[in-house]
Amino acid sequence: MADTTVLTVSDLTVTYRGRGRVVTAVSDVSLTIDAGRCLGLVGESGSGKSTIGAAVQGIIPADGVAEATGSIVIAGRELAPITDPAWTQVRGSDVTSVFQDPMRSLDPTMTIGRMLNRYTGSAEASVAALERVQIRRAGEVLKKYPHQLSGGMRQRVMIALALAPGPRLLIADEPTTALDVSVQAEVLGVLRESIEDAGCAVLFVTHDLGVARHMCDDIAVMKDGVVVEAGPAEDVIGRPSDPYTQRLMASRITLETDRSRPVGAPERAVVASMEDVLRGLDRPALDVTGAWSDGALTWEAFTGPTAAVGAASGHPEVRLVEHVTRASLAVNEVNKTYSTRARGRRVDNHVLKDVSFEIGYREAVALVGESGSGKSTLLRIAGGIETADTGTVDAQGVAGEGTQVVFQDAGASLTPWRTVEELLRERIEHTITGRGLSRAQMRAMALSTLELVGLDASVLAARPTQLSGGQQQRVAIARAVVVPPSVLLCDEPTSALDVSVACSVLNLINLLRHSLGISIMFVTHDLAAARLIADRVLVMTGGEIVETVPAERLAQDITTDYGRRLVDAVLA
Amino acid sequence: MLSFVGKRLGSLVVVLFFLTLLVFTLGKVADSDPVRTYVGVNASVEAVEAAREELGLDDPIPVQFASFVGGAVQGDFGVSLASKRPISDELSTRLPATLELAGWALTLTVLIGVSLASLYSRPGRIGAVLRFVFFSAASAPSFLIAMLSVLVFYKWLGGMLPAAGRSSYGPYDDGTGFYVIDGILHASPTYTWDAIQHLLLPALAASVGAGVALARVLADGISSSLSSPWARTARALGEREGTIVRRHALRNASSPALSLLAVQAGFMVSSLVVVEQVFSWNGLGSYLSSAIGVGDFPAIAAVCLILGAVYVVLNTLVDVALAAVDPRVRLS
Repeated sequence: MADTTVLTVSDLTVTYRGRGRVVTAVSDVSLTIDAGRCLGLVGESGSGKSTIGAAVQGIIPADGVAEATGSIVIAGRELAPITDPAWTQVRGSDVTSVFQDPMRSLDPTMTIGRMLNRYTGSAEASVAALERVQIRRAGEVLKKYPHQLSGGMRQRVMIALALAPGPRLLIADEPTTALDVSVQAEVLGVLRESIEDAGCAVLFVTHDLGVARHMCDDIAVMKDGVVVEAGPAEDVIGRPSDPYTQRLMASRITLETDRSRPVGAPERAVVASMEDVLRGLDRPALDVTGAWSDGALTWEAFTGPTAAVGAASGHPEVRLVEHVTRASLAVNEVNKTYSTRARGRRVDNHVLKDVSFEIGYREAVALVGESGSGKSTLLRIAGGIETADTGTVDAQGVAGEGTQVVFQDAGASLTPWRTVEELLRERIEHTITGRGLSRAQMRAMALSTLELVGLDASVLAARPTQLSGGQQQRVAIARAVVVPPSVLLCDEPTSALDVSVACSVLNLINLLRHSLGISIMFVTHDLAAARLIADRVLVMTGGEIVETVPAERLAQDITTDYGRRLVDAVLA
Repeated sequence: MLSFVGKRLGSLVVVLFFLTLLVFTLGKVADSDPVRTYVGVNASVEAVEAAREELGLDDPIPVQFASFVGGAVQGDFGVSLASKRPISDELSTRLPATLELAGWALTLTVLIGVSLASLYSRPGRIGAVLRFVFFSAASAPSFLIAMLSVLVFYKWLGGMLPAAGRSSYGPYDDGTGFYVIDGILHASPTYTWDAIQHLLLPALAASVGAGVALARVLADGISSSLSSPWARTARALGEREGTIVRRHALRNASSPALSLLAVQAGFMVSSLVVVEQVFSWNGLGSYLSSAIGVGDFPAIAAVCLILGAVYVVLNTLVDVALAAVDPRVRLS
């Protein structure tokens, strides 16, 4: 019925003009959403999903950089995309939105009350609005500034702000992507209830198929500015017909994913690395792509003797080690306290309380826990970036040199004015292996490692900013393993990446682990990724390791309340 | 907020104490004998001894420092070696002169800063030309601007604005020393307008550079505020651009601008020394340069202390203003 249709987008095309080039962000997209329905717009970075989200609320600046054709009808009013002067009337009344980054999406200099009262009309109405998004003690929250609230609270405030004008259409642009998994589940619940009460139509933009299935009635999958598949959520997720959707679905990892094999569809870069490794191991060249597609490719195929350590570092001499009892990383009763001063008094924050654990030779251990559980501090102490107040850390290991860290934000962890070759050389020069090597030898090492992580000689001269997010993370990993460390410390290396890229980075880490024989400490708040990489999962909360669970049957074996909450937070 | 202000005031006292100590020490280690300056080169040995005692220079150093601090707190900086008059008397007319000029210069700085900030972001040729002109103005030293403005407004435009002194009429006997305020208090529009005219050129010369710098920081702040996620939120909630600038961007952009203003105020205090010379302004600056000429150390110390105190107080005010503008400063 026409009168219940809130949003109709017809043949929308958006192009951006810049540096003499014209980029088509969205091409001939048509969508409709009825009142009370939620449409999920799913796609990876650059698919054009956020451009549509911005276009239907008219916040693409009309400065001539962006041009659009097609039409957008909101609540019966037809608007020309971008340029229509009527957008100023539609925005904030018929259409409002919730954005991704709750840290920065609220004006830091204003109290919540001052922001909210403007749209609700009175403090009483604001309290009611906050209570609708399940904020307790709303009266106090009104007097606070954004920086005094947690991420989850801020996003609830955002939802309250967006729903205050009583919109017909709500745009939710990755509303929970920046939140911790367990908070994400809560906020999604709040959002779902609030929009059901409000009865508005919702355009839900996300890269996460799990979140989309959880939230949406219908799903449209986008790739390169085009909708490749659309339909009811269960059909698109359950029986994807488009190859791209199928690939996206295959890249999703859950608590049931097979850990012994590579995940996702065969990917050229990873396949090349695998063939490389097999050649190095003198294994009969098997058809990697074929075996992967058939599900016959297991990580065991890449497990070599410790010889691989020598091979990758450019040292041909082989050291065979049969039985290793010495741990690669031994953390013993580590304590860490951060002190701050508030109102002249010292406030101690005991971040790590007598934490002890070991990572064996060739073992992979994941550390899971929410923000503030102390997991990242523990990683920094293990990596020698910070020192413990008391307790010891031994990362001597048997093979490899020391520890290396791969961070979440690869772009920020690579010095921007250095070329990839210089970045890798810097690491080589600071190791025993690299002592006395010539430029050419180091270059050869860098090149073979880059090939191992699925890059080629062309990136040697590139600077980090010229690379994509996935490439940056590969370079960061290459830098960490160019001289294999005894332990590779990974701090949420995939949480900033698109699903398919994250998937290939996880495959890469697994490949390196098996072929180079390095131990891994994997810090994350994503249980599914933890389970895929690690043999054991340590659950951290409040600065203590509360549980150690074998990875294989993680979902069944985890016992603590906190662990169960994390399991439930992984949206199936 | 109150405890924040209290803390700032506490550190202000500490800074002033060390400033005093520094000035005092400089006087002691400087290679000139104050007694000789006081009595002259040809005085007898007895006269020198008598003067030494009179000036308190026989006392142990800590006692001298204590009496120096005690005097400074009460506004007594001792006797000028050159004129033999109490320094506080000499400063009583000069301090208001400088403060009045500094106040106007600061006000003009803010006016120039805010109005240029809105021009800065103009796209196209006009913006580019304006940026060029003001950049040149900002990079010129203040004495050059001072002489140029005298040339333009006094000489070429036929004495449109006065180029020397503070007033055509002289001070009121019962005045505060701030001529504009005196004029208003005595309900004399002629006197007030005349004082303002005298103030304009020196204040302009002292404020152009600071104003342009301020404009730049403010304009950058506003434009980055406007592209921030919270500005997008405001847009999505239907706010118009003008409202976003007034309600959100100005406040967020003012933190860096205020910090800059504090630094610029310090530079301005020192540039006043030069500007006062050019405009024959009988303030602290011209007093200081004549005192340096004859090695009148107590006078130099007094002016340094006062200028330093003005600078420190201004900085404290800015810190408090920063805290008022940005809740993250006072609440974390």
